[in-house]
Amino acid sequence: MDELDILKKDWNKEKVDYPKLSYDDIYKMILKKSSSIVKWIFIISILEFTFWIAISFLMKGSSYSGKLEALDLDHILIPISVISYGILIYFFYLFYKNYKNISATDSSKKLMENIIKTRKTVKYYVIFNLVFLVVGAVIGAIYGFNHNPEFSSQLELATANGQVFKFYAVIVIVIILVLAVTIGVLLLFYWLIYGILLKRLNRNYKELKKLEV
Amino acid sequence: MNKELEHSFVELLEKHQNIVHKVCRLYTNNYDAHNDLFQEITIQLWKAYPKFRGDAKFSTWMYRVGLNTAITLYRKSKRSIKTQDFEGVEFKIKAEDYDDTEEQQLKVLYKAVHQLNDIEKALVFLYLEDKDYREISETLGISEVNARVKMNRIKTKLRTILNP
Repeated sequence: MDELDILKKDWNKEKVDYPKLSYDDIYKMILKKSSSIVKWIFIISILEFTFWIAISFLMKGSSYSGKLEALDLDHILIPISVISYGILIYFFYLFYKNYKNISATDSSKKLMENIIKTRKTVKYYVIFNLVFLVVGAVIGAIYGFNHNPEFSSQLELATANGQVFKFYAVIVIVIILVLAVTIGVLLLFYWLIYGILLKRLNRNYKELKKLEV
Repeated sequence: MNKELEHSFVELLEKHQNIVHKVCRLYTNNYDAHNDLFQEITIQLWKAYPKFRGDAKFSTWMYRVGLNTAITLYRKSKRSIKTQDFEGVEFKIKAEDYDDTEEQQLKVLYKAVHQLNDIEKALVFLYLEDKDYREISETLGISEVNARVKMNRIKTKLRTILNP
C-alpha cells in the first residue's frame, strides 16, 4: 500500500470533525460579495477603458487641442476620432464576450484560458492606445514642424544663431523622454497589478501546460 | 434569483458541505484562510447554480467549482496570509476513532501533501475522493494518460518528501 492509499483510507472515514455550518450560515455566505480574481480583472479592465476614454477627452479639451483646431484639421481629426471610438467599441465588445465566457464549471485549463483571453483583450487595447499615442505624437510633431507659425519663428531664431541641429535635437529628445516616461509608468503599473493578481494563475497554467509536453 | 432556488441550493450545500471543507483543508494553512476559501467557493457555487442541471450529481459538480476556485479564482486575503503554518489546519478527530501511532503517520502524510503545488493537490484531492482517471482528466482539462503519468510522479514526489 502506497502513501496515498493510506491517506485515502483515512480521508473517506469521515472521522474528522469539520466545522458544521448551519443553513443560516450558508445563506449569509451567498449574500456576500465575491473577491475572486475575475472580479478584480473586471474592475481593473473597466478602469483601463475609462482611463483611455478620459485621456482622449482631456486631450480634446486641452490648449494643445485648441491649437490643432486653429490649424483646421477637421478632415483628419474627425475620421481618426470615429476610427478610435469604433476600435474602443470593438475591444469592449470582445472583452465583455470573453468575460461572459468565464465559467467556474469549465475544466481548470479551459477556465484559465478564458481568463487569460479576457485579460489579453484589454492588454491589446492598451497596446493599441500606446501605439496610437506614439504615432500621434510623431505625426503631430512633424505637422507642427511644417505648419505651426510659432515653431517657424523659433526655428528662424535658432537658424540665425546657428543652432538648428541643437533645436531639433532638443525637441526630439523631449518627445522621446515624455513618451518613454509615460509608457514606462504604465508598464510598471501593469507589471505590478497583473503580476500580483495573475501570479498564481500563470504558475498553475504553466504547470498544466507542462503536463501536455 | 428566486427564493426557491436559494432554498434548494443552501439545503444541498448544507448536506454536502464536507466536500468544500475537504478542498479547503488541502489548500489552506490556517482557520482564517479555510473560512475565506469556504466563503469564496460558496459564492462561486451559488453563481453557477442556476446553470446546474440535475443530470450531473451535485457533489460531482461541486468538485469542479470547488477546485477551480481554489486553484484559479481565489485571491488570498490579507487576513488569511498573515500566518503561515505548513502543517495545515488540524481538525479534531472524534474520540472513538483516535489512534496515536496512526495519527502521527497521517499527520506526516498530510504535511507532505501540503508541500505539493496547486495542480498536484487537485490530482491528489480527486484521487482521495475516489475519482477515476477519466473524471480527473475532465475536471482538470488534461488527457487521461497525462493524468496517470502525473499521478505516478506525485507518488514518487511524496515518497521523496517523506524519505529525504
